[in-house]
Order: sequence, then structure tokens, then C-alpha cells
Amino acid sequence: MLPILTKEDKKEIDNVFNELVVRYGEREDAWGLNLRKACNNIKYIYPLYKNYFKVRLFGKENVQDKQYMVVSNHSGQIAIDGLLIGTAFSMEIKPSRILRPMVERFFTSLPFINKWANECGAVLGDRDNCMNLLEKGESLLIFPEGVRGVAKSTKDFYKVQEFTRGFYRMAIKAGIEILPVAVVGAEEVFPYVYQAKGIAKKFGLPALPLSANYFPLPSPIDIYVGKPIKPETAISDDPADSEIDPLIDQIEAEIQHMIDDGLDNRREFWPIMKENKGHGHGE
Amino acid sequence: MENKMKNSETILIIGASGGLSNILCGLLGQNHPNSKIIGVDSRDLRNEVENSNFKFKKMRYTRGNFEKLFRENDIDIIYHLGRMSHSKNTSANEVAQRLSLNLMGTNRILELSIRYKIKRVVVLSTHHVYGALSDNPVFIKEDANLRASIKYPELRDVTEMDSMCTNWMWKYKDEMDMIVLRPCNIIGPQINNSISQYLRSNMVPAPIDFNPMFQFIHELDMATVLMNSKDKVPTGVYNIAPEETISLHEAKRIVGTTTFPFPLFLLSPVAQLVKKIWTFPDYLIDYIKFSCIIDGSEIKKHIPKSSLRFSTDKALKLLNL
Repeated sequence: MLPILTKEDKKEIDNVFNELVVRYGEREDAWGLNLRKACNNIKYIYPLYKNYFKVRLFGKENVQDKQYMVVSNHSGQIAIDGLLIGTAFSMEIKPSRILRPMVERFFTSLPFINKWANECGAVLGDRDNCMNLLEKGESLLIFPEGVRGVAKSTKDFYKVQEFTRGFYRMAIKAGIEILPVAVVGAEEVFPYVYQAKGIAKKFGLPALPLSANYFPLPSPIDIYVGKPIKPETAISDDPADSEIDPLIDQIEAEIQHMIDDGLDNRREFWPIMKENKGHGHGE
Repeated sequence: MENKMKNSETILIIGASGGLSNILCGLLGQNHPNSKIIGVDSRDLRNEVENSNFKFKKMRYTRGNFEKLFRENDIDIIYHLGRMSHSKNTSANEVAQRLSLNLMGTNRILELSIRYKIKRVVVLSTHHVYGALSDNPVFIKEDANLRASIKYPELRDVTEMDSMCTNWMWKYKDEMDMIVLRPCNIIGPQINNSISQYLRSNMVPAPIDFNPMFQFIHELDMATVLMNSKDKVPTGVYNIAPEETISLHEAKRIVGTTTFPFPLFLLSPVAQLVKKIWTFPDYLIDYIKFSCIIDGSEIKKHIPKSSLRFSTDKALKLLNL
């Protein structure tokens, strides 16, 4: 049963977006964020967030009214974790904010998806782009595992893959705190079957994970927000890799730790399925 | 000398029959009444210029009488606004003519500028040199690569002309000041470039699968920037754009013309089919697909704030006058 937007949800979304308009302005920004369209889109996403994936958000007390670089693990073949984290930060965390997810280069050339993602706040994951957004006071959502995170085979589920270094360099340069986030439950939404690397290469795609289904399974999802991490200030603006690698390893370890704790605390898949069938929507 | 630079210099405007040149001539006449302005173009003068100090000569820049102009006039400043646009030229002959004018013509202008010790050359390039690509960052700075010709060879002359000017700029930086301006989309009632035609036209296809962001500068603001480049801007390359951005769909809505929704993958063949009646160059299809947003902050350090007076909304609303 597909969740439907209730009157209460609609009112809640409208209230949040009225707040956001005051903060961001009516007009589209230079990256194409369009609050009116983002509001319309979240009316489809929020019922899924709340009643289908039954997202639980932990650690919202760690988020202050300031700019962050939100850094999360990436999972689930077709990554919906960005959507859910973005929804959590706009709907559940006060004051509401639009996180600007960094997306892969190939993503920006896709018809419809590019338009829709830009309207919702997504931007090209390019360093100049990120620095310009940070200068404008925006909060970023970064998945430093990149494609390695989403294209994992089953044996690597919930194992954080090696982070790239760019995000940390930008955090140092901008002097912005890193907010670690762990998503638990998204690996099972599109069960992994095979990674078609050859075909992906032929078509210029970053990855082509084949799944048993392309309709998302209602895996219960938990989002954990950790305590903010201040970037190291005792190193130069442009440090050597050897200087920042241990610091990045610490963030990786922190997120892995949050995932491991989350796995101990996670809800079972089948009871949630039954609950979905029984109640339709609403916890 | 200082006095001459400010009040009674001789200004040569190349490409003088265009709409932007018309406005520039008017502004120069108002603000520098003692200056002598010579306009040249290979086309006829489109509109009468209300400036008694203005003289127009129809000529090609590659011919001998063009040099005579330099020999017989003590020219101080050159505005090179003579880049032939792509909007109406698609046949092989016309492409060749465009290449000749844009590259050979520019080369000749620069050679003569050095030979006749011109103090300052202001060149009008375009933001199109950066290319409309899916991986463009937002706010492209002046030092970014010129990638326009990667996909569309027809833009090669535009990027080469720009590169040629910047090369000369550094090579002869001790002998003359050169300012290369890369404006965003210039719009206004007197401008007839491709994007203005697209915005003004009714029943043109609007992509349903993309909605890129645009920057627009009103023709009068652009002419003001050009005028200020004469004495307020140091040698260098400058993007010209307001801070405001707007999506293509919103821009069309403000102009008030009608569109029909169309998936972009079909647009290229359709553009080919209707080329006879709709002069929309192929390369511009990518500019209505991907954003090419430039960072215009550098020039703002040198020109008065009042140079950019028109908001994007106002510039778009005035387009149909």
C-alpha cells in the first residue's frame, strides 16, 4: 500500500516551506534550487519517508542553527539515502534547512533527473561549486565514498568504503564543521545482484549495479546524526595527504561506529512490512 | 595627455552598425562630447546615431582602406565589437566568412593597434567561450578553460578570437592596455542575438527535461560597462554579469511569450528541420540545456555600482519594446 499525503503532513510541509522561503528567498538560486518546486516534490517524498521507510532520526540535538558539511555513508545501489537525509534536515530538524547534496558528474547530464535534482537543491560535486556554496552560507551533503558506497556487493553492506579527501580539504579551507551522519537500513532497499562494470564502462556510467527489484523495498531506515567535528586548524590550508589521512580515517571510523550501533538497534524488516500492511501509514 | 584621454580622444568603434554600438555611441556622445568617434562596419548603419561627433564608414576590416583610417586619424581607443554572430549563419560560405572576419579581422585590428600605438583596445567577447557543459561549476571565473569548441566546432572562431586577444594582451601589456569582456546574455530591444530571438519568439520549444539557469544583462548596462572600460578598467579579462540568475522557464514566463514543452533529445532534429524559418544555431541548444553561469565580481571592483542598473526582471520585461 502506497503512503498518501495526509492533511496534517501537507500543513506541516507548507509551514516548513514558508519558513524556508523567508530564509532562502522566493527566487531560484544560481544552482537552480526552486523552493516552490522543492515543496511540491517533498509532498511525494515525505509520506514515503514517514510511512513507507518509517525513518527514525536520532541525534537531532547535535544540530545547531549553523552551517555544516554533512558527511554520510552511501548505500543502496540506487541511492535514496540523500533524499531521506535531505528530508530529515528540512522536515525534522529545527530550524529547517535545505542541504545541498553533491552529485556525480554523469548525473548532471541526465534529462528530467538533472532538472528535478537541481530544483530540490542538488549540485554538481565540483570543488569550485562547493566552495561557492559554502561562501554563500549553504550546508552541503557529501558522500565521500562516492560510487564505491552505492555499488557495494552484499558482503560489504554496512562497511564504510574509503573516503576521498576533497571534502576535508574544503572543510579546512572554509573553516566549517563536519557533521557525521550514518544511514542504517538503506542497503536492503534495492537488493544487490551484480555489478555490471563492463556495461557501465561502455556507456560511460560510473556504476551499473543490478538489483533484484527496481521498486524500493520498504526497509525501515534509521538516520543517526553524530556530534560535529571541527576540522583541524593546526595544519595549513593546503595540507599534504599524509597530514589529513589520519583525520579522515577518524571520521570514517566514527561513521562506522555509528552504523554498528545502529545495526544493533535496527528494526526487523518483516514486522515492519506487516505493520505497513496493517496500518497503511502513520506510526 | 591626461586631459586628452578624458575629454578629446579619438575613438574607433569596429562593428558600429550593431545595436550595442548604437547605444555606446550615444553614451559616449553624452559623456564625452569632445571625443571624436569613428564607426566602421562591413554592414550598413542600421540606425541613425544622434551624435554630431560620430562619423560612419562602411568597410571591411581586412581591406587596405582600413589601415588608412589608422594612418589618418590619431586613434586613442578602439572598441572591437565586430564579432560576427552565429545566429543567422550556417552555410559553409557563411561560416568561412565568419571565420575570416572574426579571426583574420581581429588579428589585423590587433596588428594595426600595435603599429599605430593605440593606447587601449576593448574587445567584446562572450560567455559562450566557456561552453554550456553538464559539469560547469556555478560561477565560472575568468581563468577557467574555454571549452566551447569541444562539442561545437562552429564556436572555434569565438574561442580562438578570445584566446588571440588574451595572448596579445599579455604579449604587449607594456605597450597597450587591452580589456577583454566576456558578457553573459545581452538582451534589449536593439539586440538581435539568438537568445533574444528565442525569448521574444512565440511558440518556440522549451525543454521539459532541463531548465538551466541564465544571466541576462540589459543592453544599456552593457553599453555603460563598455564606456567605463575606456578609462576605469585595467588590462585584463573580465566576465560581465549581474548577481541575479533566472531559470529559462521563468525568463520565458516573464517575457510573456508562449512556448510548447518539448523533450530536448528531439530538439536538435527539429531545429534542423525548421532552420529556414527559425534561426537557432545548433550549439545554442546546449545553452538551453546546461547552465553557463559566470562570476562577474572582478569587473565590479573597477566600475561604478550604477553601471548595472537593470534588474533581470526589468531587462526581460523590456525585451519586447
